[in-house]
Formats: sequence, structure tokens, C-alpha cells
Amino acid sequence: MAVTKEILALAVEMGDLLLRNGAEVYRVEDTVMHILNAYEIHDYDVYVLSNGIFASANEDREDACSMIRHVPLGATHLGRIAALNQLSREICSHECSLPQAWERLDACKNIPYNKTGIRLFFCGLGCACFGYLFGGGPLDAVTAFFTGFMLQIFLDALGRSKSSKFIKNILGSALVTLLALLVMLLKLPVHYDKVIIGSIMPLVPGIALTTSIRDLFNGDYLSGAIHMIDAVLTAFCIAVGVGTVITVFRTLMGGGLFA
Amino acid sequence: MILQFVICIFATISFAVLFTAPKSELISCGLCGAIGWMVYLGCLNLDTGTTIANLLATLALTLLARTISALHKMPVTVYLISGIFPLVPGAGIYYTSYYFIMNEMAECSKAGMDTVKVAGAIVLGIVFGFAIPQSLFNRLPYLKRGQKHTV
Repeated sequence: MAVTKEILALAVEMGDLLLRNGAEVYRVEDTVMHILNAYEIHDYDVYVLSNGIFASANEDREDACSMIRHVPLGATHLGRIAALNQLSREICSHECSLPQAWERLDACKNIPYNKTGIRLFFCGLGCACFGYLFGGGPLDAVTAFFTGFMLQIFLDALGRSKSSKFIKNILGSALVTLLALLVMLLKLPVHYDKVIIGSIMPLVPGIALTTSIRDLFNGDYLSGAIHMIDAVLTAFCIAVGVGTVITVFRTLMGGGLFA
Repeated sequence: MILQFVICIFATISFAVLFTAPKSELISCGLCGAIGWMVYLGCLNLDTGTTIANLLATLALTLLARTISALHKMPVTVYLISGIFPLVPGAGIYYTSYYFIMNEMAECSKAGMDTVKVAGAIVLGIVFGFAIPQSLFNRLPYLKRGQKHTV
């Protein structure tokens, strides 16, 4: 039988990856426990928060071991979550030895994000579709495509410089509003509000809201509260970004613009 | 109506791509989102008001996401996160801040309360959707193959 430390390291590393890529607390906790059970460790404690993992195993034995991980809230990568879920299923049905599991884990860790071009295109497409769904016309959709496209370029650039989430959301929504209003100034017959609503969709905290509800529902109140605060603050930042730009335009152009 | 359905599929798929969902699941994600949106529109047609419409749409979405996730053996998050986006109150956030800036406080508080109500409806929809025990959903793959569920 393998040493406690190796098994716990595998389980915690897997939990870490799941959490980092946006899984719910309940899933992470469950996965870590299942893996420990699968490798025949039955004396353990696992405590997962939305940004940390605490785990210990075999505390009353010679090779007792405990681990702590700090996991910052990161970008969501559903592909990795799905792959890790599959791996954990295989480990639980004992199809996977410990070294194999490590190899598979590394493979999961390195599933890439989609290419920049693809991301830009789909961000534009998503914004355009939502602009249309929320009552805009075809021209609004085309405009939203470009604003969404620009937004994703901007977000990618910010992502490289590791600036804070607040800055990202405020500046992102400000940029979108600015572009939409500029298009309107060109005397094109766009509904700037539909364009803005469509293009802020990539920033809107849909994931944080969903995850927070599911955490709360599973009794992880602390993690649920963390995600809920995240969702509310993000919404607030978007409102500030949109509001500031509209105010500035209104002051510069006079109130008649928005009549 | 059909146009809305198709466009909503594309919208949901776009967001699924942004979150790097597995390629094999993109269509299912799109369907989830679009069916949720259809339920929402249907409810609005029946004059239920946005809150009830959002509640029922989220409930339908959650149940559908759980069904597909049991059939495909995928985490439910994949479908739920992509599918929730058409329902999330992005427009509410916009109109609240817009009226706030325009100093129309009556409209602002109305939009603000609507946003909070919609968010609450989504919360309840997901909670109700998860109130049905997982064991029921786990039987689905066996029903499909006509086998008896033994575990």
C-alpha cells in the first residue's frame, strides 16, 4: 500500500485543480473524499472553502499527513472540470493506479484554453445574440458583435497584466458603453441600450450567482457568501462603469442625446 | 419564435466556448439555454410576469441540465453555467444604473427591485431544481438502455 502522503497529495492536487477552474465546493469535497476512499484511506478530514482546501489523513498513524492549499478565484474552465470528473470516476472504480492517476492529472491540468481568435469571435457572437434576444434589431446585433469583440481583446490584455477584478469590470463595462455611444454619435440608427446590455453579458456574474446558490443550498454558507459577495460587487462595478460613461457623455453633449 | 430559439442556441454556445466547455457538449449546452429561454418567453406570453417566468425557466433549465448530465456522465455545472446566462438579469443591472444616473429615482428603484426579484427567482428555481434527489437522475442512463438499475 502506498504511503499516505502520496495519496493525499493526489487527492488534494485534484481538488485544487477543480476549485481553481470553477467547480462548486461540494463537488471538490466529494471528489477528494472519493479518491481517498478509493485508495483505502478511511480516516480523514476534508474541509473546502471557495478559495482554500484543508485536508488531513491517518492522523493516528505513523505516516500521518495534512495539507493546506490556497486557491485564488480564477477563470472558469469547464473542459478541465469535466475531464477531472471522468478521472475521478475511473479512480473510484479502481481502473487507475497511483502513477497513472498522476499522469492523467497532468494531462487534465494542461488542457488549453480556446485559441484567442476563437474566443474573440465567440465573445462577439454571444454579445450579438444577446443584444438581439433582449429586443435589439439586426443592426444592434452587428454593433454588439464589434463591441463584444473589442471587450474580449481588452479583457485578454488586462488578464496578462493581472489587474484586479474591480478594475476589469469597471473598465470593461465603461469601454462597452463608450463604444456603443460612439456608434450612436455616428448617426447610425442603433438602440444603444440594447447594444450595451448585449455586450455586458460576458461580465455579468452568472457563474458566481449560480455557484453561490449551489454552495448555500449544500450548506456551505461561508463559500456561498464569498461567491455571493463576488456576484453583488461585480454587478455593482458594471453599474459604475456604465453609469460613469453615460454621465460624462450627458455632461458633454447635453441631455437631449438620451431623450 | 423559432428565430429566437436558434439565436439563443448560438448565444449559449458562444458562452460555453468562452468557458471552454468540452466540444462534445456544446450542442447540449445550447439546447439547455434555449429551452430555458423558451420557457421564459412562454411564461411571459401567458402573462405571468418576469419573476414567475424566471422561476419556471430556471427550474426547467436545472432539471434539464441534471437529466443531460446524468445521461452524459458530465458534471451538471457544464450545462447549468452556460444555460443560465440568458436568464441572468444583465438588462436589470443596466437599467438600474441608467435610471440612477438620469436621476429618475422612481424608475431606478423599480428596476432595482425587479433585478433583485429576478435574482431571487433564479435562486429559488435552482434550489427547487436540486431538491429532487440525485438517485432519481442516476437511474436515467439505465432506463435508456432498458436495464434494471441495480446499484
